[in-house]
Amino acid sequence: MDADAAGRPAAVRLAFPPEPRLLGTVRLVVGVVARKAGLGEEGVEDLKVAVSETCAVAVGDLNRAGRPDPIEVDLVEGADRFGIEVRDRAPAVPARPGGPGDGDVDDRELGLALVGALVDDLRTATLEGGGNRTTFWLRRGPTGADLSPPLI
Amino acid sequence: MDLDLNVRKEGDHSVLEVAGEIDVYTAPKLREQLIELVSDGSYHIVVDLEKVDFLDSTGLGVLVGGLKRVRSHDGSLQLVCTQEKILKIFRITGLTKVFPIHSSVADAVSAPAE
Repeated sequence: MDADAAGRPAAVRLAFPPEPRLLGTVRLVVGVVARKAGLGEEGVEDLKVAVSETCAVAVGDLNRAGRPDPIEVDLVEGADRFGIEVRDRAPAVPARPGGPGDGDVDDRELGLALVGALVDDLRTATLEGGGNRTTFWLRRGPTGADLSPPLI
Repeated sequence: MDLDLNVRKEGDHSVLEVAGEIDVYTAPKLREQLIELVSDGSYHIVVDLEKVDFLDSTGLGVLVGGLKRVRSHDGSLQLVCTQEKILKIFRITGLTKVFPIHSSVADAVSAPAE
């Protein structure tokens, strides 16, 4: 996501090694940038969850593959929406035949479902040479109020 | 980023107060605490989420795992939460139908067993 539809470049670009302890820092930056962009508080919280879940999947996949490649996050301010793109170089992950081993739920699937429910226009793609690109947007109203999808 | 856990007894219940952010980095600490409580014979647990600033799917998975563990001993796991941003995560994932969620610890410990 080098630019949005109006041609604006990424407002902020982050790159961080696949370490779980850094997810809190990513959320902090996303929160600050989204607030400054005028997103409402609910939208800010939704974005923080969505980017954290997306990055957590990338961190897990890279760690399982033993890859230290950085994860890149672009934050883009559009005219009426705020966008995030997450790129990683994680190889494709085979399905886990037995599911999680300690009796908990499959939080990978839960996380992806959460992202899909919280944001607009979620798109995922495989990068040439391996890896993933996940893009999503959150619309914002004229006063910065977010237009999140309704809760179930 | 820290996750602070504090356990106290209130009658038959163990109340686990959680403060901070629950994500893929901190959730293992919560999982270990829940496992330890069940191993020590605490089968009726109240998890107080009022001081939780962030909760992701890993945290949800840990809570579901805790619920499964106490239910295997005919126990209960109830939550205390009034924060809309946290409740929203439970609603989206349908887990409001799985966990009893109360507005206070007093309500949780006095709630009839399900």
